[in-house]
Amino acid sequence: MDILLSFQGLLPFFFIIGISPLLVGLINKQKALLTGRIGAPVWQPYYDLLRLSRKETIYATTASFISRLAPVVSFAAILISSLMLPIGYVRPLLSFNGDIIVFAYLLGLARFFQILGAMDIGSSFEGMGAAREATFAVFAEPIYFFTLGSLAFITGYTSIYDIYHSIHLDNPTSIVFIIVSSISAFFLMVTECSRMPIDDPTTHLELTMIHEVMILDNSGIDLFLYQYSSYIKLMVYAVYEASFFNPFSMQNHWLGFSVFLIVLVLLSTLVAWVETMIARFKMKSIPQYLLFATAIGILNLLIYTFVRH
Amino acid sequence: MISLTVQNHQPFAIKNIPILTLQEFEGSVREGMLTHARMIGLFGLEKTQTETTVIAVLSNPSTSSLHLVGTVFTAINNRYNSFAGVHQQTHYFECELAENHHIIPEGHPWLRPVRKQTVVLDKQPYSMYRMEGEEVHEVAVGPIHAGVIEPGHFRFQCHGELVYHLEINLGYQHRGIEQLLLNTSAAQQNILCESITGDTTVGHTMAHALAVEAISRTTVSLRTQTLRSIAEELERIAMHLAGLGGIANDVGYAIGAASYGRLRTLVINSSALLCGSRFGRGFIVPGGLRFDATTEAIELLQKNLSLVQKDVSTINSVMFDASSVLARLDHTGTVSGEWAKSIGMVGPAARASGIELDTRSQFPYGAYRYSPLPLITLSTGDVFARARIRSLEIDESIRFIFEQFENLPSGSIFNELQPRAKESGVISMVEGWRGEIAHCVFTDSQGSWKRYKIKDPSFHNWYGLALALRSEAISDFPLCNKSFDLSYSGHDL
Repeated sequence: MDILLSFQGLLPFFFIIGISPLLVGLINKQKALLTGRIGAPVWQPYYDLLRLSRKETIYATTASFISRLAPVVSFAAILISSLMLPIGYVRPLLSFNGDIIVFAYLLGLARFFQILGAMDIGSSFEGMGAAREATFAVFAEPIYFFTLGSLAFITGYTSIYDIYHSIHLDNPTSIVFIIVSSISAFFLMVTECSRMPIDDPTTHLELTMIHEVMILDNSGIDLFLYQYSSYIKLMVYAVYEASFFNPFSMQNHWLGFSVFLIVLVLLSTLVAWVETMIARFKMKSIPQYLLFATAIGILNLLIYTFVRH
Repeated sequence: MISLTVQNHQPFAIKNIPILTLQEFEGSVREGMLTHARMIGLFGLEKTQTETTVIAVLSNPSTSSLHLVGTVFTAINNRYNSFAGVHQQTHYFECELAENHHIIPEGHPWLRPVRKQTVVLDKQPYSMYRMEGEEVHEVAVGPIHAGVIEPGHFRFQCHGELVYHLEINLGYQHRGIEQLLLNTSAAQQNILCESITGDTTVGHTMAHALAVEAISRTTVSLRTQTLRSIAEELERIAMHLAGLGGIANDVGYAIGAASYGRLRTLVINSSALLCGSRFGRGFIVPGGLRFDATTEAIELLQKNLSLVQKDVSTINSVMFDASSVLARLDHTGTVSGEWAKSIGMVGPAARASGIELDTRSQFPYGAYRYSPLPLITLSTGDVFARARIRSLEIDESIRFIFEQFENLPSGSIFNELQPRAKESGVISMVEGWRGEIAHCVFTDSQGSWKRYKIKDPSFHNWYGLALALRSEAISDFPLCNKSFDLSYSGHDL
């Protein structure tokens, strides 16, 4: 019985690591279609990963062991964080009281090692990217904690699985919470995954990059790990967002799963639309934008205080 | 001011250029610049064992006149008092003269190499500026870039994200075009001029053709002049569209980048209808044109252009109304009109800072003499102004082309060139899409080229880019760079 449960708990994990390149492919495809191009096939990220895994890995002469360690640690941290997210009614493999904090800091650990790795290489570009990443992370963290944290406060649970499952469709305030949380979760997703309007993943201009510039000097299997972990990270945040719609699976598993998939696809469309139609922000105004998202997260708490009385 | 005063494309005998003593020369140039003339050339005309004759060319847009004045330097007397302390626009010309002829400007504020990075100009090799202090850092970009672009080295002195100083080192593409032009056949000269900078093919061949025609006193038909101007405007439209697409791309506005890119293809394909080359290669030759425009080509071209006109106005209204785009363009990379004037900026970049400078209306040539184009200026001098002026110029250029097609004169497209005048010179100025192009051409006693001096608009404007970055965020550099859209090869020659 335990083995069966563990296996069930692994299903979301396999789903996340298997589908994540497809999500990126889907975004790129829709972006191409929106700008009137045919675009690369949706499977392109898989081919890219395959290509990278076969390439030779080269290290800068100034790099120390940290450069070798950083991609592995950051990939591992993101893999573990993806073990903590539920899809539908299945309790994920790693689920315990207080895992919302572990989840946040696993992603933080991944970022920390990526920053270390970037600074270790010794190029001024990478150092600049690392400084930017660290600065914006400071502003992104409150978004997560005010969104999921206020839900934890409201529901009284501190496990991601329990929080999601305490949201019920028959409670009108829950629906408000879903809407508010999914807005701030979207802001969080584009920030954490270095997408527009925070960071432009397609630019070739080192001076404007945030995430991409940190991995400029990585190649081969290291680049594979970084790319794959960025795909998984995007998927993790997409699942984090889509899981707000989990209550549907209370009634019917297949309905719940269909709603979940539809939300994922809609999310990818939204990301593609934003990346096509909106110009990137000036770097100095990004903190304002992130504080705005934090304010939306706080809104949950306000609504809760008003509704309770 | 003591000088030889000529008009654009007016040939003159070299002996009419007053060769003054050093003191008179300095006084004359200073006087010219105080009466709002701009320097467009400072170069050695003749070099013997002991002496170098140096010519200064000034242009005065308000009187549409060009002024030439010369002096002689010897190996011992190779120093003069720099003008650059007061008139910053001469700074780069003085550096160029020092680099090529070892004629040293005394008291020059910033004597640095132009194209040859290892050359020793005055006493010691040049070293770049460097800021010292806590948390100050230096970012070096290039000469090898992440994109497929030309080589150039940029060095930023930063404090955090803020740029205090940008220094631009160029010269990696120096091919010695000016020398190559002296010893080749006429056909090869035309090809060389086409490749001075690949994106201003029509502009540079136009300047070359007009110079050769002026010095050999050959007139071309009205039809030739009109078709040349049409090709020039097509190039302007295409490159302005490319520039707008680049700006949209650099702010991450994908829909703008895609739309402008698509329209540019349509315009360069229209150029191919005229001459078989999308970049206008092989169209203009001294003496006329190599291809005549057929009726079908004109019809198709008009159809293409009306489509471009319609779509450009749509995408312009979308892009210049999008608040996210405007937030990036407004107040970014500002070059004030005062700065732009003092460093002698040219072209759309100068007009975006409110400088009234357009060769087409101030030194009219070819078809622009009969159907003038309005001189458009904006005042803010930021990236927005440099983008907006492009879109306004596109509208005017399309209107101009339609107007020309309405009554296209008939006539032959090629006239045989007459023999060149001996010991003569001509200054040929043309408004390329990037700004004022000047070819200063001189012949020797046999009528072959003695000196061929080229000035691309990039020569002035790279300094403008460096100024635009002062107190700007380093992450906005690519955007500012694209808004100027300068040529490396045009500068390096």
